[in-house]
Amino acid sequence: MGLNSTNRMWWAGAWYKTRLLCISVPLLTSFTSHNIFCLLSAVALHSETMAKDMTLLWGSGSPPCWRIQIMLEEKQLQGYNQKLLSFEKMEHKSQEVLDMNPRGQIPTFKCGNHILNESYAACFFLENQYKSQGNKLIPDSPDAQALMYQRMFEVFTLVEKLVEIVLYNYKVPEGERHDSAVQRNKEALTAELKLWEGYLKKTDCCLAGKEFTLADVVFFPSVAFLFRLGLSSEHHPVLAKYYNSLKDRASIKATWPPTWQLTPGSDMMKNI
Amino acid sequence: MAKDMTLLWGSSSPPCWRIQIMLEEKQLQGYNQKLLSFEKMEHKSQEVLDMNPRGQLPAFKCGNHILNESYAACFFLENQYKSQGTKLIPDSPDAQALMYQRMFEVLTLHQKMVCVIYYNYMVPEGERHDSAIQRNKEALTAELKLWEGYLNKTDCCLAGKEFTLADVLVFPYIAYMFHYGLSSERYPALAKYYNSLKDRPSIKATWPPYWQKFADQDALKTI
Repeated sequence: MGLNSTNRMWWAGAWYKTRLLCISVPLLTSFTSHNIFCLLSAVALHSETMAKDMTLLWGSGSPPCWRIQIMLEEKQLQGYNQKLLSFEKMEHKSQEVLDMNPRGQIPTFKCGNHILNESYAACFFLENQYKSQGNKLIPDSPDAQALMYQRMFEVFTLVEKLVEIVLYNYKVPEGERHDSAVQRNKEALTAELKLWEGYLKKTDCCLAGKEFTLADVVFFPSVAFLFRLGLSSEHHPVLAKYYNSLKDRASIKATWPPTWQLTPGSDMMKNI
Repeated sequence: MAKDMTLLWGSSSPPCWRIQIMLEEKQLQGYNQKLLSFEKMEHKSQEVLDMNPRGQLPAFKCGNHILNESYAACFFLENQYKSQGTKLIPDSPDAQALMYQRMFEVLTLHQKMVCVIYYNYMVPEGERHDSAIQRNKEALTAELKLWEGYLNKTDCCLAGKEFTLADVLVFPYIAYMFHYGLSSERYPALAKYYNSLKDRPSIKATWPPYWQKFADQDALKTI
């Protein structure tokens, strides 16, 4: 190990704090004790300062918001500034949100001076910037990595079909609604969920294999949302198994939507 | 490695084009490829279904890895071939954050574009409404204004000076919209972006041989 590898550790996360203490003596003697103190202090402060520079405006139960919250837990970035807003009170259209997100949508997320309102953008950025901190969420193994990427982008298709149903009455004015469309949307989601049942049957616990990855960070909140809306465990046993196996994961439990503990869900998805 | 890759694609389909641009940027020419016809329903053929149960293009296999989602293919290729060809995910946090934000925001633009261009294709005749068509047009107009604003603020590419993964993923949509009649006068920043990149080698080399006829060629003329 030479000077170069120690410089690399300067930018590393909290895990390297411990590692630095185990540096061999020959290397230590090449630094003054003051240098080492500064090095360790900087590393120790790195994660704390950074979480304090993050702000999340969110709504309870919104899957994109929940993804970012899970991510921040997984990367040990607790202590960020956050504010729970109400969709019903239209707080997502408030000036506070519009200042950070001209679209008037939540999540609205600022990481230092970086705006990352798209939940996938926030997740990728955090994983990249905090690679060596918390859980490693993009696996090195090409097999797992490829499967993770493939599934996490397939989630968009699932979300589209879910949203068509959940927001139908919200997006489509009364005079334009058709039973035929409602029926078609139901069938589309049913077919989509069959695919995911198949995917989960083939893997070992998580979407990309044995390990929890970024794919699960983005997928789980939508699955939980479906069960909250009354999705049947009998019709979807593999999804139910996935849901049950992850709902007590620390990062997920810690960020469980507060309003879900206070009110009952609905049965919108009962017949899917 | 390119010899172990197979791409089934349709001409002018933006997701297919993205993968092609990516393979050029990473110097992975020489991959196996087959041009299929949407009109002849070849995307529902057994050959495609074997690789993509959804019966959609692109269908892409990289060694024994299935990566039919174009974003997945692009991310995987960038990761596996980091030190080959163009570096497409910048190290600078500023550029990186902006790249990620824009590449996922474009999905909103895509949705609004699809609602206009493919309205008659997606909505059965008995369910079509002029009010919906009008609303969709207004939504797309508002969305495009946002993107004009974004491109006015950056220096040549979506995330700054450098061509990044965001441009690989977004350029095909922009080209698509200009093909379907988007006005350069009303959208000068988008037109400037389009013109500055259309001769980039990876883009020129993979320019669609022909454009799909699903929709009216002037579909976006009045946007």
